[in-house]
Amino acid sequence: MEVNINKLNGVTNVALIGRLDTPASLEVSKQLEPLQSDAAGTIILDCKDLAYISSSGLRIFLTLRKAAAAKGGKIIVKDINNDIRQVFMMTGFLNLFEIQ
Amino acid sequence: MRVFFRDSILLIIVAAVALEGISLFQYYAAKKGLQKEASLRAKNQLEISKLKICDIINQTETAVFNSDWIAEWSLSHPDSIAAVTRRVVHDNEIIVGSTIAVKPGTIKGKGLYAPYSFRAQSSEVINQTSLATDEYNYPESEWFKMPLNLNSGYWSEPYVDVGGGEILMTTFSIPLHNSKEEPVAVLTADISLDWLTSILDNSRVYPHSRSLIYSRSGKVLGEVDDDDDDDNTEEGGNSFSLFSGISTEVEMDIMGQHWFLYIAPIEKTGWSMFIFIPEEDIFAGIRKVTLISRLLGVLGLLMIILILNITAVRQRRVRKLEEKKDKMENELRIGHAIQMSMLPKTFPPFPERKDIDMSASIVTAKEVGGDMYDFYIRDEKLFFCIGDVSGKGVPASLVMAVTRSLFRNVSAHESSPARIVMDMNDSMADINENNMFVTFFCGVLDLATGQVKYCNAGHNPPILLTTNIKPLDVEPNLPLGIMTGMQFTEQEFDMCFDDAMFLYTDGLTEAENKNKELFGEERMMKALRGRNSAAGKLHDMEDAVASYVGSAEQSDDLTMMFIHYTNEEIAGSKKRRLTLHNDIQQISLLEDFVNGIAKEAGFSASVASGINLALEEAATNVIMYAYPKGIDGICTIDAVIRPGSVEFIISDTGQPFDPTSVPPADTTLGVEERKIGGLGILMVQTIMDEVKYRYEDGKNILSMTKTIK
Repeated sequence: MEVNINKLNGVTNVALIGRLDTPASLEVSKQLEPLQSDAAGTIILDCKDLAYISSSGLRIFLTLRKAAAAKGGKIIVKDINNDIRQVFMMTGFLNLFEIQ
Repeated sequence: MRVFFRDSILLIIVAAVALEGISLFQYYAAKKGLQKEASLRAKNQLEISKLKICDIINQTETAVFNSDWIAEWSLSHPDSIAAVTRRVVHDNEIIVGSTIAVKPGTIKGKGLYAPYSFRAQSSEVINQTSLATDEYNYPESEWFKMPLNLNSGYWSEPYVDVGGGEILMTTFSIPLHNSKEEPVAVLTADISLDWLTSILDNSRVYPHSRSLIYSRSGKVLGEVDDDDDDDNTEEGGNSFSLFSGISTEVEMDIMGQHWFLYIAPIEKTGWSMFIFIPEEDIFAGIRKVTLISRLLGVLGLLMIILILNITAVRQRRVRKLEEKKDKMENELRIGHAIQMSMLPKTFPPFPERKDIDMSASIVTAKEVGGDMYDFYIRDEKLFFCIGDVSGKGVPASLVMAVTRSLFRNVSAHESSPARIVMDMNDSMADINENNMFVTFFCGVLDLATGQVKYCNAGHNPPILLTTNIKPLDVEPNLPLGIMTGMQFTEQEFDMCFDDAMFLYTDGLTEAENKNKELFGEERMMKALRGRNSAAGKLHDMEDAVASYVGSAEQSDDLTMMFIHYTNEEIAGSKKRRLTLHNDIQQISLLEDFVNGIAKEAGFSASVASGINLALEEAATNVIMYAYPKGIDGICTIDAVIRPGSVEFIISDTGQPFDPTSVPPADTTLGVEERKIGGLGILMVQTIMDEVKYRYEDGKNILSMTKTIK
């Protein structure tokens, strides 16, 4: 699992590459923790190369989403594949996130 | 045998020679001692007798010498001569007669003059007579001439007193001198020698010994001997006079008898005293002892011969028994070889087959045993059995051979284990005269479907190795051979890929160590843990038993059989397994596992992804929460791929927990209200078509089925 974070013009772009399973989530949640202070701005979760996500990955997304909601920021989930879309669907996450 | 015989004879000869040697040595040593004793006794007796004799001789001499002066005086007073002789007799009790005899012309007017006083026989009266008679002519007598010639005292040859009762007498005479110191007369004292006989009587030293006294001229003065032969010694009298005057001891043969002679001289009278002891008397004791000891020796020898004979017979018998035993052991070895040749013993038995792996072993306690196993494949079915005949040794092995051939015969045309067992039972019970029975387990494994039909006739339940290890459920049927017409129950179960069955006889669980403690089921179960090949599993078990038993002697036959079912496609279904430890990193192993199954089951990639997700959620729960922190735990994921569906079974031995009881997350809530938990079970129940939880045998078992659309 690889995570690339880019900040440009107040927009934070987070590229998630690989499988976000439970072991990977433990790493990724640490890496993304600082982003909660930027939650007032826009955070784009780029899922173009995200192959898989489990509930622990979803929890990271939800945590960020909660922080943004508290600070008035915005979370955009971009380019999710069909499998992940299915997951988002069954968990009701489609309604919680702005999906592009 | 011949060697033994020769040795025995040699032994007897040596023993006989040794015995004879000892007896001879004893004989001669004892003889010497006895001879010495005889000599001592004889000499002692001679000394005593001599003292007694000399006492009387001395008394006589003293009496005569004391009268010397008065006798010489009387020569010049011839009238008193008679009175002097009378006084001599009167004063001395032992003197029976006395005279003073003068040379002719010594007394004036008288030629021969010899008045004689004597004690009349058995009376105190002393008579007087004269020896100066024409018939007697005393000057020619020894008692007169000798003292005068010798001019000293002289003891006459003993003689028989004709006038005085034919008593043996002797006379002591001394010369009497005139005033010119010329010997002119003699004074005599006669004594009876009666007492010699009583002295000799008391001198008998041995029962047949003889004692006698010879006079100077060889005349027997007194004699004590056997009553039977009276006069032989007198005949040899002259020859004995050779020894007169010498103190000696001699051995000689007289009249065909060996005698020991002990001789002592009585110097004053010129006598010799002899004690004759026959050899028999001296050595009678030793002869008797020697005879007895020889008899005992002969008896001993006879006993040795008898014992040797008995030993020889016994040895022959023992040798015969040993030969018999050797022969029998050899036959037993052959029997064992034949017995073993009946059992399949090439492993792996079916190297060309991928659906079955087997291993079996039998270790007999005695040369031949009553344990057996067998298996073979007919019509894609594995027929297998294990049995334990009651008892051990040859009878058990014969029954075992019968059991084995019955199994083959009956199962050749019969595929139902219960019917196989019933047929075998009927045949065996029919001919069972020795009341032997066989505990028997018979199974038929359909290699294509994994279905096992089995029938247990009183044998130890086999151990089943599936997701866990536990004894197979068996009906308590009776063993084979008890009675005909018995009904046996058939049971069945399904074997999955990688399942295994371990069959054994009680020689395993009842293997004893040095302290007579049993190996037991617990140790057996422990040795069955961990998956490996059939051969390896059997090897592990053999090692476990061997190290437990140590050097203790094997008490019972030990037979084991391990059947490992390795068919990946059971009637179109396959089984896969993934074992995870309680480390969250292990979750990553799921992807390959799921992709493999998806490929086999024909799931699309997105369905596979969903399954992966569901498995991850369930497994994560086990890994994170089932076991206490720091304790190693296992999460097993079995996948059974069937036509149309795949069942995933997630099992763990952690604390009981039912994930289906957790309320799934509410997907209708907004961001602020949404909770972090409850997502996992929500996804599992959404992705899978059927989710069931059960807690069984200390295990959490979560079964999830995904149908293939």
